Amino acid sequence: MVELLLDPNIRLWVFLPIVIITFLVGIVRHYVSIILSSQKKIELLQVQDSQVMIRARLLRENGKYLPRQSFAMRRHWFNNEETGYFKTQKRTATSQNPMTDPGMMTDMLKGNVTNVLPMIVIGGWINWMFSGFLTTKVPFPLTIRFKPMLQRGVELTYLDASWVSSASWYFLNVFGLRTIYALVLGENNAADQSKIMQEQMSGAAMAMPPDPKAAFKAEWEALEITEHKWALATAESDLLNSSEE
Amino acid sequence: MSSLKAKDKSEPVAYSEAALRNNAVVVEYCRTSMAALSGSTAGVLGLTGIYGFAFYVFAVVILWVMFMLKSGSNWSKYYVSRQSLLTNGFFGALFTYVLFWTFIYGMVHVY
Amino acid sequence: MEQLRQWRESNERKSEEIIEIWEKSLCNNIDKLANDKHLILEQVIYAALDCHMYRVATVCLLMLSNDFPGSLRVMKLKATLLEAKEKYDEALAVLDTIIKTDETNTGARKRRVAILKAQGLIPEAIKELVDYLKKFMSDVEGWQELCSLYLQVQDYSRAVYCAEELLIHQPHNHLHHQRLAEIRYTMGGLENMELAKTYYCHALKLNPENTRALLGLFLVTNNLLSQYKSSGNSAKRKETFRLCQWAQARTAQRTAKESAAPPLDQMMLNLAITD
Repeated sequence: MVELLLDPNIRLWVFLPIVIITFLVGIVRHYVSIILSSQKKIELLQVQDSQVMIRARLLRENGKYLPRQSFAMRRHWFNNEETGYFKTQKRTATSQNPMTDPGMMTDMLKGNVTNVLPMIVIGGWINWMFSGFLTTKVPFPLTIRFKPMLQRGVELTYLDASWVSSASWYFLNVFGLRTIYALVLGENNAADQSKIMQEQMSGAAMAMPPDPKAAFKAEWEALEITEHKWALATAESDLLNSSEE
Repeated sequence: MSSLKAKDKSEPVAYSEAALRNNAVVVEYCRTSMAALSGSTAGVLGLTGIYGFAFYVFAVVILWVMFMLKSGSNWSKYYVSRQSLLTNGFFGALFTYVLFWTFIYGMVHVY
Repeated sequence: MEQLRQWRESNERKSEEIIEIWEKSLCNNIDKLANDKHLILEQVIYAALDCHMYRVATVCLLMLSNDFPGSLRVMKLKATLLEAKEKYDEALAVLDTIIKTDETNTGARKRRVAILKAQGLIPEAIKELVDYLKKFMSDVEGWQELCSLYLQVQDYSRAVYCAEELLIHQPHNHLHHQRLAEIRYTMGGLENMELAKTYYCHALKLNPENTRALLGLFLVTNNLLSQYKSSGNSAKRKETFRLCQWAQARTAQRTAKESAAPPLDQMMLNLAITD
């Protein structure tokens, strides 16, 4: 197979600009999303529920440091049939439709504006502006399977699979630069587009508000079967032994 | 790097979560920088095919050895396990490495 | 500048030093700071309140409220300033408006308790704090404060409950173990003494340098020994005796190492509860 020769102008006017554009767009996205992000209003009841859950979980995990009586007292308070917290607190299952909640709507809209929109716009623009170029060659051999992935926009059957077209080079950049964003912008940045894509794939399960009723029931069960094991029974002898060593 | 709170050997060791997270962030920073730098190096050197990937593995191991040298003999104070320090984020950093490798290789050798 | 940030991040309360930096270098060119300006202003306000420099605090607060009109965080600062000037009613009014706009503002709720405490209304403060903890059950600071409030009114069994709650939340903090042991020791009685002994032991295991726990252990074991002697429980007595010996040896070691101070254990023995 004959080695292809690329015009150096492609390097200067296509290859390099795509990298720079992708990087800068990521930076801009980061700051735009900071501006647009609105602090989520949390309801008192929600906070209370989550704190109760934390406390119950900690009781299960660290209850072993308490004397049996104290542990039983707390569990009674949570789980007692008549007066227990998990039994008396009635929470309605809040599985409201996000479409009916205007606050949630604007949140979703903002998320789309900062995340999906630039990806489509910039991707489309790059596709239009730099379409049909072969930009570079990956320095390792690839099987024919990678051809549609790496050579989007250039449909040549006999071309070696390791050549990369401009559109595909853009997408390679989008995914490869995300760790660099973490380096440049610090943790928890919003420039990371691929995370958004993962979220979309995992479905709406994450976006649903947790149902306190079911969570309470689960925690009640977990607490009910927790056995108290006094962790400090050997504290004295441990102390003596450790000093003798 | 802040040290972790380690206690008795006989008991399960307790870790400070904030310190643990901080260490993970620092290690992640090192790993990204390593991937970018070694990727650029491989590109400039014009490594292709299997040699490039061998170079990546080499760089990962070198980074791991440097972590170990830095933390010295009491590594258990800083990391939960040495193995996971070596293997964690291997593929995430590989992506960055490949990008930089391809980028610099393309800049230097293709045209 | 770097110094201020470091103090802010590690929660150090070097109020006098902060004020010094402020007066020397910052107060004339605060506008040149870009991102840190407001954080530093907040830091300076708290420092100024610590040093009773209300004028500085008022000036900073004015700057902040010009930049952020209607911000809850600035309102909280204002309430704190009023509180420092002992205008408690006005401060409470400001805090109430904060809570009304943002029900989940824990800081404002806690400040209410602090105001009540500053006025010396301990029972009211306890009531307020209990209400708060009913809603925010995993607030460690809240439980800690409630514990010391209960200790002030000598309600030991409730203080024990709070101390145990602390223990659940942070089981690896030796100071919590020590605190619980101290309360149990103060309550007295055989069962409490034994629990106190256990918790002191665990505190020492977590931190062998904890002299307070060591001395506490010594006192507890002494007390237990005399109780066992009267009841004639020889097996337990033997074990406690070993522990007592050990604690004494360790204290002697510690005092010998540190200085030629009078033997601490003897002094502590004079303080022991004898019943």
